[in-house]
Amino acid sequence: MQFRIAIFSLPLVAALLATQSATAQAPSTGSQRSFQSFNPDVSAIVDMYYHADDSEKGISHILGEMSGFGHTHAGGEHHHHGPDEGFNLRHLELQFSADVDSYFKGSAIAAIDLESAEMEEAVIETTCLPWGFKLKGGKFFSDFGYINAQHSHQWDFTDQPLIYKLCLGDHGLNDKGMQLSWLAPTPFYLLAGVEAFQGDGEAPLFAYDGEAPLPAHDGPRIGVGWLKFGPNLPGNHGLQLGAFGAGGKVQEAHDGNGDGTEDHWLDGNSTFLGADLVYKYNAPQAYGDGDFVLQGEYFSRRKDMALVGHDLVPQLVGNSKVDDQDGYYVQAVYGFLPRWRGGLRWEQVGLTNDSDLPDGTSESYGSSYRTGAMLDFTPSEFSRLRLQVNQGSYETADGKEDVTEVYLQWMISLGAHGAHKF
Amino acid sequence: MKRFGLLITMLLTSCLVSAATSDKLRIVATTSDLAAIAKAVAGDKAEVYSICTGKEDPHFLTAKPGFIMQARDADLWIRIGLELEIGWEPPILDGSRNTRIRVGGKGHLDASESVLILDVPQTTVTRAMGDVHPMGNPHYWLDPFNGRRMAGAIAEQLANIAPADAVVFRKNAEAFQKELDERMFGGELVKAFGADTLWAKTQDGTIAAFLQDEASKSKTGSWIVAMAPLRGQKIVTYHKSWIYFANRFGLTVGAELEPQPGIPPTAAHLIEVAETVKAEGVKIILQEPFYSAKAANQIAGKTGAKVVVVANSVGGQPEATDYLALMDLIVRRISETR
Repeated sequence: MQFRIAIFSLPLVAALLATQSATAQAPSTGSQRSFQSFNPDVSAIVDMYYHADDSEKGISHILGEMSGFGHTHAGGEHHHHGPDEGFNLRHLELQFSADVDSYFKGSAIAAIDLESAEMEEAVIETTCLPWGFKLKGGKFFSDFGYINAQHSHQWDFTDQPLIYKLCLGDHGLNDKGMQLSWLAPTPFYLLAGVEAFQGDGEAPLFAYDGEAPLPAHDGPRIGVGWLKFGPNLPGNHGLQLGAFGAGGKVQEAHDGNGDGTEDHWLDGNSTFLGADLVYKYNAPQAYGDGDFVLQGEYFSRRKDMALVGHDLVPQLVGNSKVDDQDGYYVQAVYGFLPRWRGGLRWEQVGLTNDSDLPDGTSESYGSSYRTGAMLDFTPSEFSRLRLQVNQGSYETADGKEDVTEVYLQWMISLGAHGAHKF
Repeated sequence: MKRFGLLITMLLTSCLVSAATSDKLRIVATTSDLAAIAKAVAGDKAEVYSICTGKEDPHFLTAKPGFIMQARDADLWIRIGLELEIGWEPPILDGSRNTRIRVGGKGHLDASESVLILDVPQTTVTRAMGDVHPMGNPHYWLDPFNGRRMAGAIAEQLANIAPADAVVFRKNAEAFQKELDERMFGGELVKAFGADTLWAKTQDGTIAAFLQDEASKSKTGSWIVAMAPLRGQKIVTYHKSWIYFANRFGLTVGAELEPQPGIPPTAAHLIEVAETVKAEGVKIILQEPFYSAKAANQIAGKTGAKVVVVANSVGGQPEATDYLALMDLIVRRISETR
């Protein structure tokens, strides 16, 4: 209070206090600031959508059967959030966040769906490290690439890109672990990070079981590294380029003869490498009118495994299986009117799609692609309605499948106003 | 190897660059108005950067990497506060990893803590009322009296960070305040009655009668005199962003083109506004350049009111080169519509 009085002569302060109009309120003296408390910021996100597609078995089934990206039975039960025909409630997302003390900040996000609740994120972060370092621990989304660290309600399309879904599953790479990142003192933006994750088997690319006949591996079983670079663009232009790589343990169990029991097991290492790009133009107009976002990510993955057990052809045990797949997506979103946005997305997976099999043969599969178009309306910063249409052509074990999908999404955010990263 | 060498060179250069400028403070302000006042107060003791350019709506901004970089090196971060920057400030502050400028830090100044705040909701607020700011209307820099207070607060914060130059900062702030007082009331009035008396009269509304007074009638060329003929008029604004300016110069805001803060004009609401304009004899529809002028022009066409499009931030229009020039511009644009 001392300095505020110091900048005024006393008579003026006296005059002000005496003559304040009814609506004017002196800062700090009123009760308005006293409602602040040490409670964390709390918010809830409700995200529902209607989905329909013209395939017989449903899009989730097709994505599970794609050539070269096939599913495994290792790693226990995966619960799928893949769209059902009709109404879907993605989940209720409860978020809490606050500074813990002058050293740490914390946040917790619980994702509650109809059957269960799960810890989506529970994060401790440092706020006190010098020289641009930050340490993060808990359960969190890896910061590699662009879309991985975003929650589903932040996506510009209702569903996640194919390559993410196929490599990392519905949740992306989200696991227990630690992250160390460093903001370099360079004249441009450069952020580097390394992460170690337990690798509990949620992501297909890093499926883990650890039960005989598969060997057990001690955690952490996944390592990730990434770089983000942002040149200084003038005005309202923002650009970020990224490169990333990850490696970890992978285990698979398969039912080769289709009798319903697992009969051969693979153990080995998975890696992926990739790059991402995001360009944003923030138009001067209000309500998002004229804003433009272009983003794209490319992934290349390799699974290098050895057969550790085979009930049907035991002589193959010890032979290796190598899978090479890749994929990318590019999307653009434009605010064509205040509060209205339109977007297009083009995706392709399996440009490289090769498998070297344990019996010494090799297989090459074709690529799949999908186009998406979306239109969304944002009545306020706290609600959004979206229509999205996907048209995809998928390479599966049963041949090529063409599927058209429609999404109608409705989501809201309650409570604290969340700011979004670039 | 060549590239690696280049990278090392760049890294070293960046160290040298930051070493060369390290004797100057680095101030990063969220808006161009804060930056302009900070420049006046810091003089040649600091480099001042602004996140907003003044051309865009400060409610909606993207926390781009370049902003994080500016914040990384800042000794002082100044914000408007009252949740104006809530959509983009946290990721910048957090991403910068700059412990000096975190909320509560020595290098963090929330300018709203030292100004007069209007529109503080006195009842329960819900988001059904639109994008209401629960701690008060954040467009307070448009009251020149608050500009005066912001300069004082910045000077004290700078004095706290760099005590060796405290005298310079306070002297600069006083010079800025004196200049502002003179533009507001005219040099002669300030000399004759003192700035404090005059500001108090704008606060309680007695300035109108005071200006009528024979003795002071001839003192022209000031904002208060230019705006005097408009006193008591009702105006319509696009967003709830002109209440501070209106309040200081004795205007009242009869309606906004936005049906609710943050919601663009709807046809039904514009019909109501047009009726208000006719019934109340509103002559001025005031709005910022970053809003579409379609709605305002439509009402003007129906009612004969005049549309005034003027920047509400430094840099929003070419003439608004600094804080005083911005106020000059606003006063001129509004007063010339009579």
